[in-house]
Amino acid sequence: MIARGRMTACVRNPPTRILVLGFVATLWSAYAAGGEPVGDATRGAVVAQACAVCHGKLGEGNFPLGYPRLAGQTENYLRKQLEDFVTGRRSNPLMDAITRMYNEQQRADAAAYYASRSAPYAPAGAPADPRLLARGRLLVRTGDEARQLQACANCHGPDGSGEDFAGPCLVGQSATYVVNVLNEWKSGARNNDGGRQMQVVATRLDEKDAAAVAAYAESLGHAK
Amino acid sequence: MTEQITRRSFFKTVGSATAVPVALGTPLLAIADATAMEPGDARAPPAAAAATSAPAPAAADTEAPLYLFFNAEEAAFIEAACERLIPADETGPGALEAWVPNYLDKQLGGAWGAGERLYRSGPWQAGTPSQGYQLPFTPAELFHTALRAINLHFASTGKTFAQGTAEEQDAYLKSLETGGADLDGVPSGVFFDSLLKMTIEGYFSDPVYGGNRNMAAWKMIGFPGAYANYYDAIDRHGVKFERAPMSIGEDRHGHVHVDPNIPASL
Amino acid sequence: MPQKLKETDVVIIGVGMTGSIIAKELAAAGYKVVGLERGQPRFTVPDFQSPSVHDELRFDVRKALMQDNTREAVTFRNNSSQTALPIRRWESFLPGTGLGGSHVHWNGQTYRFQANDFELASRTRQRYGAKFLDPDISIQDWGVTYAELEPHYDRFEYLLGTSGKAGNLNGQIQPGGDPFESPRSRGYPTPPMKEHFQGATFRKAATSLGYHPFPQPSSNLSQPYTNPEGVKLNACVFCGFCERYACEHYAKAVPQTIILPVLMRNPNFELRTGCQVQRINLDSTRRKATGVTYIDAAGREFEQPASLVVTTSFALNNVRMLLLSGIGARYDPSTGKGVVGRNYAYQTMSTVASFFGEDFIVNPFMASGASGTLINDFAGDNFDHGGLGFIGGAFIGAVNTNGRPIQYHPVPPGTPAWGKGWKQAVVAHYNHTIMLSLHGSSVSQKQNYLDLDPTYKDAWGQPLLRMTFDFPKNDLRMAEYVTARGVEIGRATGAKQVAGNPRKGPYTITQYQTTHNTGGTIMGSDPKTSVVNKYLQSWSVSNVFVVGASNFPQNASWNPTGTIGALTYWAIDAMKNRYFRNPGPLVSA
Repeated sequence: MIARGRMTACVRNPPTRILVLGFVATLWSAYAAGGEPVGDATRGAVVAQACAVCHGKLGEGNFPLGYPRLAGQTENYLRKQLEDFVTGRRSNPLMDAITRMYNEQQRADAAAYYASRSAPYAPAGAPADPRLLARGRLLVRTGDEARQLQACANCHGPDGSGEDFAGPCLVGQSATYVVNVLNEWKSGARNNDGGRQMQVVATRLDEKDAAAVAAYAESLGHAK
Repeated sequence: MTEQITRRSFFKTVGSATAVPVALGTPLLAIADATAMEPGDARAPPAAAAATSAPAPAAADTEAPLYLFFNAEEAAFIEAACERLIPADETGPGALEAWVPNYLDKQLGGAWGAGERLYRSGPWQAGTPSQGYQLPFTPAELFHTALRAINLHFASTGKTFAQGTAEEQDAYLKSLETGGADLDGVPSGVFFDSLLKMTIEGYFSDPVYGGNRNMAAWKMIGFPGAYANYYDAIDRHGVKFERAPMSIGEDRHGHVHVDPNIPASL
Repeated sequence: MPQKLKETDVVIIGVGMTGSIIAKELAAAGYKVVGLERGQPRFTVPDFQSPSVHDELRFDVRKALMQDNTREAVTFRNNSSQTALPIRRWESFLPGTGLGGSHVHWNGQTYRFQANDFELASRTRQRYGAKFLDPDISIQDWGVTYAELEPHYDRFEYLLGTSGKAGNLNGQIQPGGDPFESPRSRGYPTPPMKEHFQGATFRKAATSLGYHPFPQPSSNLSQPYTNPEGVKLNACVFCGFCERYACEHYAKAVPQTIILPVLMRNPNFELRTGCQVQRINLDSTRRKATGVTYIDAAGREFEQPASLVVTTSFALNNVRMLLLSGIGARYDPSTGKGVVGRNYAYQTMSTVASFFGEDFIVNPFMASGASGTLINDFAGDNFDHGGLGFIGGAFIGAVNTNGRPIQYHPVPPGTPAWGKGWKQAVVAHYNHTIMLSLHGSSVSQKQNYLDLDPTYKDAWGQPLLRMTFDFPKNDLRMAEYVTARGVEIGRATGAKQVAGNPRKGPYTITQYQTTHNTGGTIMGSDPKTSVVNKYLQSWSVSNVFVVGASNFPQNASWNPTGTIGALTYWAIDAMKNRYFRNPGPLVSA
């Protein structure tokens, strides 16, 4: 079942398409058992042709515009976000309309497709301030007692590389997108997580700390 | 598989000098870059080991544990015994494939084996079963003492434990479990209980400790490991949770860095 | 020659839950407070962070957060005819250490005792007659009533943010709560936790038999919460690493997440860690404490003078502290005389395992420390004991907290202990078993007591505490009875196989059975049979207060923390509003 290895986190050693096909059905028997459609990456590739316009040909995102990277994102997170856009639990003017153009099976397929992708990370722009990166690294790996902030890694996996069914992958994600999303959590514009964890976290991250976490996350796309 | 415990991580934790014992009989795992030793040699002191050669070219999982605590005879018994306690079968790996003997080796060779957190003052009395462990032996001493007695016994039979059939091995282990033999001061039942307890630990503990290799035991039962936020998933009553297990020691690339020297106390 | 330090108003021995709360209240009231903690300081960040904290070997098996046996252990024997021997490794009970104490690694299960429990002796006699009890049983009334403690239970629950569903609001029974609970003045501060699949299955079965299941009260919170001290907690994520672990999410109510941020900011309070208190010092009259003597981490000895000494160092250590200090007459079971060390009790634990087929997915690893579902129909005196031959009872519930595989791999009875048969059974049952816990009361009896060991010593050369304990026959009969009820519930779930495992004697220290050690410095209305009065003030030395489960004259069917919390606020009220206004005995002997 787990022969996809790190598939359920950010893609680390991406398997070939053939492997993906073989194991998708087994991996997501959870969904079949729950009565929901099982995602199929090959079918999802077709759906994703439309997503490429904003999210890049390989799902690498469009960082200048803050459109997030999807390649290698945790599958369950992708599924949930697509469903939440449809039901209104999450709202974005572009995504609300787009997701409703597809049915549940297609959305599941798209999620499976992107979860299986590996794509090069966006080239590094100007190097971030090392102190900002250090602060981001501290918050992601350790936290801050004075601000009552737990380590992001607790829910987002080692160095934010994803913990499926919990925190999405942050590695190599657009810093612009991360900052935008943290602001949405903070303002309440976004509240589709369980237990209000992200609202609490975002409230305790001031502007500098949000920028630090975002810069560190994006920098991991280039780090060894 | 990306969760490789690379040879480099072993060198990192054990330092540059390596003592590579040659097992008597047929070891169940190949030992790469074996240094020639005479049969019956005790564990070679690290200084006597030859400079390490380059790791053997990787071909499937030919890597084998590097024993620092167990000498060759002890390792041969431990490997064979652990494999009887948790044998390989169609449900999942056995203790050997899970590197359980490596776990025992690192625990017994570390602070735990030396008596970490054990109240060690005398006087000593046998006590009742309700009063628990009352021997002066540290875990390391317990194992060395018992294994010495066990291997002496087998030396007198002309056949090692490892050379026995599965049935013979099981019968012997049962005799340790319930037979009440005295292993040079260690009641055989006490040794057996420690061996079984540590085998289960080595099988199911986080791979950071050198056992549960590739988290195969966790995969077998479906335990997801150290990263554990189930706030949403807990609502899916009766639905199997399919997620790759995650280790304390893994980095963002999925490599598990083994570090058996984590102290017990926070 | 110990170095004598500047006098302080209050010295607190042990900065765990109880010590932190008392320190905060007295410092806030203007008193200078010194808190002496033998362990190390630790905080959620960085010390409790995952993934390193989710290490079963380290925290469950090696017991990283517990008292180090090489420094301080306890000796044990089942009865006085035996020689007590050291508990060389903890198993049965796990005393904590470090800033925050055991409250850092507890499970968050937060109960109130019932009104009946506080007057157990007189109410038992009333209901069942004076001859109902075995002659050796030494249960007593507490000297305080539930009604007196109710506001303090409330205050404690609101400090922690406990998540639950009230069952009895000012006398009105509430659907969905525990109908047996004694009246509470208001509901819980946060709503009940989500129910896991095991709890839901248990609920259906218990309801079908006419019982009254309710959500386990949990101090691992169901939602973000700001307590009356202004300290914030987060929502629990059901990680399954609760008891024996520290919480990385700021979601478990521990001193670090409920009160230490406030306490540490108050300049009236000084925390000293790595300090092992050796004894409470008394003046020449032996009726007044002058302070304490302690040894710091570098081995230096200090004398800390104080006007008031409060010992809050965990039940067992409280008893030992009084014995080492010569406060109160030592209990002697052969004569029945003396008080310090008497009425030691524990918890009587049984289990029921329900085994299902492989299509029944349990996911045991998804759990909080306190997100179960349980019934009190067979707890305390909630059922008629007439003709049953015992008092007491157990809560019965699907309260499993984890699926950590080294220690949790249930197999049916008759499974071999190792080999292919064991392994196949583990695979067949790991994710397909529901474990029920039967959490039973513990009566005190004359032969069970605590004193100082004549032979074995701690790392400072002081005698270890000696524990003499075996299960009273009363409690073993109770365990049989409640386990049979638990098996009936197990069968009602539709399991393929149900195995009851009632507690049997003799008591052994080799198997975990809770860290609910109670008694030894019990409270009461008569100084001949208690160590502290109803305000938890020593009868012998009026400027010494003792607070903890050592005050319990016997143990009830529920975890002790809620009641310790209530006693803590109750004692604080007595210190602030009675003792400090007029130092001296608060109750005439």
